[in-house]
Amino acid sequence: MSKKILIVDDEPNIVFSVEFLMRRSGYEVVTAADGEQAMQKLSDEMPDLMILDVMMPRKNGFEVCAEVRADQRMADLPILMLSAKGRDAEVKKGLSLGADAYITKPFSTHELVEKVNELLNTISEGE
Amino acid sequence: MIEKWSLRFRVFLFFALISLMVPVLLGSALWFAAGRIGPESVPHLVLWGGAAGFALIGLVLWVWLKFDENVVAPINTLTSDLQTLTYTSTEHDVETEQGRYLGLLAPAAREMAIALESARKEVKREIEEATRELELQRNRLETMLRDLNEGVLVCNMNHKILLYNRRALNILHYTGEIGLNRSVSNLLSTPSIAHSLEYLTGQLETQPSEQELSAHVVCSTSDGRHIIEGQLSLILDSDERSATGYVVTFDDATEKLAELAKRDRILRDAVEGLRAPVANLCAATEMLIENENMDDDGRKRFENVLSEESHRLSKRLQELSQDYREIVTGHWPMSDVYSATLLNCVVRRFKPEDAIQCLINGDPVWMHCDSLSIVELMERIIRRIAGETSTTAFELEPRPKKDKVYIDISWAGDLVRSGTIDTWLDESFDECLKDMTGRDILENHKAVVWSEAQADGMACLRLPLPLAKEDHRSPMFEHNGSGVRPEFYDFDLLKNIGNKQLGECDLRELTYVVFDTETTGLEPSDGDEIIQVAGVRIVNGRILSGEYFDQLVNPGRTIPVTSTEIHHITEEMVGDQPPITDVLPRFHDYVGDAVLVAHNAAFDMKFLSLKEAMCGVTFDNPVLDTVLLSAYIHDHSKQHTLDVLAERFGVEIEAQYRHTALGDSIATAEIFLRMIDLMQAKGIRTFADAAAVSEKMVEIRRQQARY
Repeated sequence: MSKKILIVDDEPNIVFSVEFLMRRSGYEVVTAADGEQAMQKLSDEMPDLMILDVMMPRKNGFEVCAEVRADQRMADLPILMLSAKGRDAEVKKGLSLGADAYITKPFSTHELVEKVNELLNTISEGE
Repeated sequence: MIEKWSLRFRVFLFFALISLMVPVLLGSALWFAAGRIGPESVPHLVLWGGAAGFALIGLVLWVWLKFDENVVAPINTLTSDLQTLTYTSTEHDVETEQGRYLGLLAPAAREMAIALESARKEVKREIEEATRELELQRNRLETMLRDLNEGVLVCNMNHKILLYNRRALNILHYTGEIGLNRSVSNLLSTPSIAHSLEYLTGQLETQPSEQELSAHVVCSTSDGRHIIEGQLSLILDSDERSATGYVVTFDDATEKLAELAKRDRILRDAVEGLRAPVANLCAATEMLIENENMDDDGRKRFENVLSEESHRLSKRLQELSQDYREIVTGHWPMSDVYSATLLNCVVRRFKPEDAIQCLINGDPVWMHCDSLSIVELMERIIRRIAGETSTTAFELEPRPKKDKVYIDISWAGDLVRSGTIDTWLDESFDECLKDMTGRDILENHKAVVWSEAQADGMACLRLPLPLAKEDHRSPMFEHNGSGVRPEFYDFDLLKNIGNKQLGECDLRELTYVVFDTETTGLEPSDGDEIIQVAGVRIVNGRILSGEYFDQLVNPGRTIPVTSTEIHHITEEMVGDQPPITDVLPRFHDYVGDAVLVAHNAAFDMKFLSLKEAMCGVTFDNPVLDTVLLSAYIHDHSKQHTLDVLAERFGVEIEAQYRHTALGDSIATAEIFLRMIDLMQAKGIRTFADAAAVSEKMVEIRRQQARY
């Protein structure tokens, strides 16, 4: 069964590209446009990985990340942060709040796919 | 005990004793005579003896009255005169007419007074001579300090201000009352100053003193509206072990910081705001390129993304370049420049051999620019125009319009093509301007130049420059028409009184606000209102002429003609003045914790107290009244009006100030200062002493009023 990826970003254009990219790489995709929707989708769809934007309305990426890590059921969910905030301090903040990888925009699609594959494989190897 | 009784009473007792002795001695003599002559003589002896006794007592009484009037009273007057003479340095005359029965005493006193006067003059002359040199140096320092472009505050360790300069006044005046011996906490938020002091005093204790003891401070003004940035250094005691005060040199950093914050924001926006659209573009492009066999629907959607995002990107770029243009001037150091000065520099650039003549027209204005580069640029442009159009005479004129001033260079002749001007602007200046081009200079000033035709065959080249933000006409010191320099410092405050109770404080070291009000009438409870409030501060025995308070008040009612005759304040004058609810809180700030002094204080205090609730302030300061103090000092005199006191103490009220609230306040203050000296002589040294004698005078007046 193909793995399921949740893409969270408030900009439909980037969601569209990343969704296309992930489907082409053989993943099932669900999307959310803000932090609250993301929390909803997480419990409804139980995805295998989340690609998370930082600056979003209602609940930002850092908050979502921290909440996921605090939740027993999802504590192991791989999170890849994809953000326009590119300062070192923000990368560190994302990683210490529980993100497994942090990619700054703009990014190369190859790198993104590789990172997603890597995160999912590490998990399956662990299983 | 006897020494404490007044001279008058003692003399009275003396005569009373004599008149008591008359019946005793006479009675016993007659009683003895009656014994010798026989009982038939008794009626005669009683009759004649009694008559003689009454005559004698009458005589004694008459002598006493004459003695009291012609000897005792003149001695009292003379004593009082001599005291006034000793403790005030006025040319006070010794009254000799009254004391003509005192023999040579009065003339001798008069001679002494003259001798004292001339001795004083001599001493004064010598002191003046010695001070002159000192004064000269002090003036130079003062001028330097005053015109320093940084604000300077010197405070003692109790945070009371010892010195401030004009720039400090300008920066901090928006915030609160600035003045000598006022607390700096009225002006600045003190935690960061306290922290720097703590840090520096700590450093002083642990480190050898060679190190410079100063720290960088950034703090907000007490109302939080401005941010100042500067340097705080300690003033060390002569042993260099402890600090007696500190100096803060500072500048208003509000705009600079706001500018920096704005620049930061623009940079951040430039980087981060561009990330997202670029990311979207890249991702979509890569998807399109890598998936050639995408279906039409998918392709169309990606193409839409591309077009949308590239539009977003160009719009973002547009906004950024707009913001960038606004901040770019901040880089180049600029100052406020007077147009006349700058244009004169331009004119002087042309030597006779250049055969170019420039004439300056129009009213000068203050503008904000970099003087050197603008002068260089104008010189170059004028030379080029002269070369291009063979003109030799130019007119330079600043024309202010909104927030810009247009520097117009006009000449009789042809216009210069804009392409030609552009080539001039591309030429770079030599090393004095670090190879900048004319375009760079314009860019730094957010300016452009163009040439346009004017009436009667004149052509003109316009250079718009920013106007200065501040008005440099210095309205701060309008009170000093008399040419007196305001007091900006008082280093005696370094050895501050500390935590003594008010009552124990020496009268000479207290801070006073001597004030006066003008009103519509004499009955505050009957609807009479304040129409003018003025005050002067006395710090360390000095009237601070730079810190007057003087404000007309709109009373919200008519002003009776009878009262206008006294104070010359008309309804037109107060029409656009603030109401008492604005003025009294400001006056309250001005007064601070000073002792209030007024001539007939009860009257003014009554007016103030009736307005307290309405204005939300309370004047619970200690109060002294010059009428009561005068009654104590000159108890022989019944007159205590301001004019009489002014004459008695040799205080002159400047004509322009006479019978105005400010003039009367100044006069009262000067009289009060002389009274302090006189009271010292009578043993009244502390505030508690002065309050006690005032109480006593109130009591006496109350009793007098009863009869």
